[in-house]
Parts: sequence; structure tokens; C-alpha cells
Amino acid sequence: MSFAKVLLVLKREYITRVRSKSFLLSTILTPLVLAAFGALMFWIMTSDSDTEKLVGVMDNTGVLVEKLVDKNEHRYVDVSDLSIDSVINSVLSENLDAYLVLDNKHIDTNERLELIYGGSGSLGFSGSVQSDLRDIIQEERLSRANVSDEVKALFEMRPRLDTRKLTAEGESEDDKAGFMSAVGFILGLLIFIGLFGYGAILMRSVIEEKTSRIVEIITSSITPMELLVGKVTGVCLLGFTQFTVWAVMYIGISMAAIPVAGLIMQDQLSEISNNAEMSAAMQDSGFDPASLEILSIDPMIFVYFFLFFILGFFMYASLFAAVGSAVDSEQETQQFMPILMVPIMAGYFLNTKVMIDPDTTLAVFASIFPLTSPINMITRIAVTDVPFWQITASLAALVLSFFGIMWVSAKIYRVGILMYGKKASWGDLFKWVRQS
Amino acid sequence: MAVIQVEQINKAFGKNNAVNDVTFNVEQGRIFGLLGPNGAGKTTTIRMINNILTPDSGTITINGQIASAATQKMIGYMPEERGLYKKMKVGEQLLYFSELKGMKTKEAKEAINYWLDRFGASDWYKKEVGELSKGMSQKIQFIATVAHDPDIYIFDEPFSGLDPINSETLKEIIIELKGKGKTILFSTHRMEQVEQMCDDICLFNNGKAVLQGKLREIKASFGQNTINLEFEGDGSFLDKLTEVRINNRSTNFAEIRVLNGQSMQDILKLAMAHAEIHKFERIEPSLQEIFISTVGEDNLKSQEV
Repeated sequence: MSFAKVLLVLKREYITRVRSKSFLLSTILTPLVLAAFGALMFWIMTSDSDTEKLVGVMDNTGVLVEKLVDKNEHRYVDVSDLSIDSVINSVLSENLDAYLVLDNKHIDTNERLELIYGGSGSLGFSGSVQSDLRDIIQEERLSRANVSDEVKALFEMRPRLDTRKLTAEGESEDDKAGFMSAVGFILGLLIFIGLFGYGAILMRSVIEEKTSRIVEIITSSITPMELLVGKVTGVCLLGFTQFTVWAVMYIGISMAAIPVAGLIMQDQLSEISNNAEMSAAMQDSGFDPASLEILSIDPMIFVYFFLFFILGFFMYASLFAAVGSAVDSEQETQQFMPILMVPIMAGYFLNTKVMIDPDTTLAVFASIFPLTSPINMITRIAVTDVPFWQITASLAALVLSFFGIMWVSAKIYRVGILMYGKKASWGDLFKWVRQS
Repeated sequence: MAVIQVEQINKAFGKNNAVNDVTFNVEQGRIFGLLGPNGAGKTTTIRMINNILTPDSGTITINGQIASAATQKMIGYMPEERGLYKKMKVGEQLLYFSELKGMKTKEAKEAINYWLDRFGASDWYKKEVGELSKGMSQKIQFIATVAHDPDIYIFDEPFSGLDPINSETLKEIIIELKGKGKTILFSTHRMEQVEQMCDDICLFNNGKAVLQGKLREIKASFGQNTINLEFEGDGSFLDKLTEVRINNRSTNFAEIRVLNGQSMQDILKLAMAHAEIHKFERIEPSLQEIFISTVGEDNLKSQEV
């Protein structure tokens, strides 16, 4: 393989794309879209989703309904004076969303309560009703049991947990779990976007050269392998450029407004955190600006990020190129897309689980299995202390499958780029691999 | 000296033997025509000469070297289906293709400027190919083929899709290149172009080289066995002729290949009895006729000739 020729292909691929308007647009728009998406998720998670539902309460105990209405007057309305039939009718006619019948047995025994709703129910809604009822019934039970105020106070106290991590030096440092989880998830997401976005760019580029027959002129000058390597590297560099621009943007923005950014991030993290108690604890403790230093990230993570991105990209990109070479138009890629989509999407969907529980067997497997490891291992590295052997195993598996997939893809590519007109089937691809 | 030596090459795609034991030589400074219907194996052979494909067996040598990355630089290749990067500027694109052929940037720029000047297209340098008309991009395509000044030029179906002006320009340049001692190989399924330009030919049918040699000698070897007839009047008498094959028939013209030694005088008599004869000429057969009589009418898909 001639390095000079690979370099020529690389240069053309990189320069024509980095100068294009679409590159400029995607560089500017992607962070905006991601930020908007993040803000939307934040809004969805924090917004009160069940305020608009109205529950009619038929109270036969005479004490509970008042407390429920006190607790949330928009949600509960006292219908104890009405007959059960008219309550049922108002649920059916949608004046009420649901109704509850409260009896003394619910206070005296652990008999289950029934929430009967018309229209559509929702888990979030029934969960809120359940927690309201628990508080109120427990309070009533305590007061009926005549316990002292001290005991009542004891029940109102809830244990809270702060976490600190023990480092090798034996000192505990401020816990970064929340922040590092977010970093891990975002890095995994970036690799996912990178593999998919740049892979698709490469595939379109291969299809363009094939359908315009430019590839025939090119292969009369250089080998298909030189062309493939040049193209993949060129698009990979394009990805690096974009990531670097984004990193500089992030650093620039956060330096310009570090206190503000820090506050917002800390706030968001505590809101996003699945553990409601912990978020309450964090909010209670107040935000200490000095804790901004937890936003610093171990530089080794970036080294691993680039390592996994490069290897993962070369592996997937060669597959994308093979698919591109087997078709005559972008529409025809459909039948081959599953081989690309399934593993990438699996990595993406697993990523949330890997972030939350980075040390489960599933997470370890996903971070070593080469088709998902580029996305999932970087998340684990950020979130938890990954044993060195796992990183090594993951890299080794990735390198091996990178060579394997590249080898097969290159064979398909060599034949595919010169096959016109006929729609290739899976069987054809198999034949191409064997014949070349 | 043979510039291109093709020896007993075979190439199969699955069960389809695209090229079957083909041997021919292309001599320095001559125009060599590769003829045959579509699907006869011409393009596959050309791709193998260009080292885009490798033969399953047999050898191809270019200037004495086995076809390889090194021999690719000696050849300028214009494929049948042509394309350029639509979003790239003309100058950059030509530079890219020339550099891929191993030219230094400076030489490449000089050569590109020379050819753009020659086509009166210097101000296209900074234009995107997408903005050009079809005729204009055909010229750019041609420059991409010749800019690195190779010894050997290979054109696959060069005249298909060319407008008449570009077609004429291409013919002139091919003749000019030949004058400079360059070697030209082109393929076509349109026989009349070969008659006008080629020194040597090789006929392909079903993946085999069925006839080859110097065009003059081939034609002469068939003798003057054909009648060129021009007439006025009812042409239906032509249908009564037996032991002939009529090519190129129209309302007042027919090219009649006489078979099995039938007397040409009898044909003339019959023609005179039915129509007014303007011209009756004994000629060598056309290439089309040679092709048909070589491969046999039965082996031919008529619509493809």
C-alpha cells in the first residue's frame, strides 16, 4: 500500500468535507440540538406531570379527606356527601378522573385501598396518590395509637446518605459519582453519534463515487484498499476536528461563565439523579461553589475516548463502506442496515444501564464485546474503576474484530464498487468475500 | 514492440466466464480497436489491462512489466460510464486525478492549464463541476484522462454519449496522439467508427477473441464479395434474392453480401429488371458483415450489433 496515495485520498476526503456548509452547520447545530434535548429531558423529568387529574374521595372515616384536600387541593375533592352511583357517573362523564373509598378498616388493618379511574391511568399518577395516602394514613394511625410527639418526630426523620469515595492515597475525596455518570453517559453518546454520523457520511461518499463511476477512474490509479483506508481515515479526522471544536467550545463557554455553568450543572445533576432522597439531601445541604472542582475530569478518560473512538470508528466505518459499495443508491441500503443498526443501537440503549450500574455482568459484557464496547466501555471508565484487565480485554477484542471486519469489508468493497446495475443480495456479498 | 501483451487471460464472475482464453498484442503507435456486442467481455478485459481487476489466469504485460500499480501510471483510462465529483472545483478535481497518477503538483498544474487552454476552458478552473453543461464536463473528463501524459490511452466506448462536436474533437486528438507515437486502445460496439480510425482490431464475442489482425488485411482476406447497390424504384426484388445476406438496407440502398459463390451478374440482371440502378459496386465487406460471418448469424443477438 502506498502511503502517498492514501494521503492524497485522505486529503481530498477531509478538505472537501471540512470546507462544506453541512460540516459548518452540523458543528454549530449539534451542540445546540443536544443542549435543547437535554433541557427538554430536564423539563420532562422535573415538571409536575399529574396536577391536572382530579380524584373524588368518599370518606367513611370522617378524618382522612380533610387532610388529603389540605395536602393537595387541586388533586382531591370531597365527595362523601354524594351517592356512590353519582360518583361513578361523574367519573364516567369525566368530571372526575378517579375515585377512592376510604374506610376505617384501611386505618385499622393493612387492607389495600382501591383507586378506580376512568379514561387512562398512569403509573406516575397512582404512585403520587399512593404516597399521599401512606403519609396521611400513617399519621392517623400514629395519632390513634396515642404515641408521644417524640415518636411522631422520630417517624418524620428520614435517614439521609452522603457519599465520599476512598482514593488510593487513603483520603476520601468529594464524591463525583453524579457528575461522572453524566460525563460517562455523554462520552458514550458522543461515540454513538460519531460512529453513526460519520459512518453514514462515509457510506454516502462511497455511494457517490460508485454511482458517478468515479471509482473506476480512481481504481485505475490506486488500489481499492488504498482508497478505502484513505477515505476512512479522512472521515475519522473529520470527526476529530468536530470533537475538538466542541471541546474548545465547551471549555471556552465554561471558563467564561464557570460559576453559572457550575451552578446549573450541579442543579441539573441533583434533579436528574434517580434517588429522590439523595437529591433532596443535596438541595438541603445547599450548593457550595467550592465543590466546582469535582467538574474536573481525569485526562486519561480523554485518551481512552479517542482510543475507543478510533478503533470503533474504523471497525464500523469499514462496514458502512462495504454496505455503500454493495448498493446503487442510498434507498437500497435498507436491506443491509440491520447489520449496522442492531449493534450500534444495542450499545446506545445499554448505555443508560451501564451508567446506572456499571459493574453488573451485563455492563462488563457490553464493555468487552467489541461491537458495543466503544460506546459502553468509555461510559464505564468514566463512572467506575474498571479493572485494568477488562480494559485490556476490551481493547484486544476490539482490535481483533477491527482487523476481521475490515478484512471482510475490504473484500466486499473491492468487488462491490465495480458492480453496477444489479441489486446485490446477502448471498452476493458472501460470494464476493469468497471470490476475491 | 508490443506495448500491451495480453496472454491467455481468463476471468470468471461466479459461473459466468466473462473473458475466456483471450490473447492479443497492441503495438506501439497504433490505434487498436476492441469490437464486439455489449457483454462480450470488452470492458472486463480493459479493466484487467488497467489492473482494476486481476485475471484468474494468464498474464498481461504493459511495456514489458506485469500489470501492477507501476503500470497504471503508464495508462490514461477513460471508462465507459463517466463521472466527476459534482461538488468539487474543476481545477482541484483534475489536480486530484493527476496526483493519483503520480504527478507532482507543479507539473500537474501546468498540464491542466495547458489542456484547459486548449479547450478554451481556462476560466472553468474555479467552477464546480455541477455547474457545467454535459459537453463541458465531457471535456473535463477527457483532460482527467490525458493530463498525466501517459504512453498508452485506453478509451472504453469513447464516443457514446458525446455530442457531435466533442466527438469530432476526440477523433482529432486520438489521431494527433497517434502522430506523437502514443498507443491507443479503444472499445466500441459501433463498427463504423472502427473503420474510420483503427489500424488493428480484435473481435470479441461471448468472452472470446474470435478474430484479430490488421484491419486492412482482414478486410482484404474476405475479398470483394459484397455489392454496394444504389437504386430507385420498388426494392421488393431484394427479398427474392437467395444465397445472400443484406446489411444496411434502406429504401434506395442495400449492402449485399454474396454467399456460396453466386454470380453477381445475376443479381445485377434481377435488379435492373425491377428498378433503376444508380450504382453497382463490388467492395470489401463492412466490418459489420465480417463480424457476422465470423461469429455466425445464429450466435448473434441481432439487436446488439
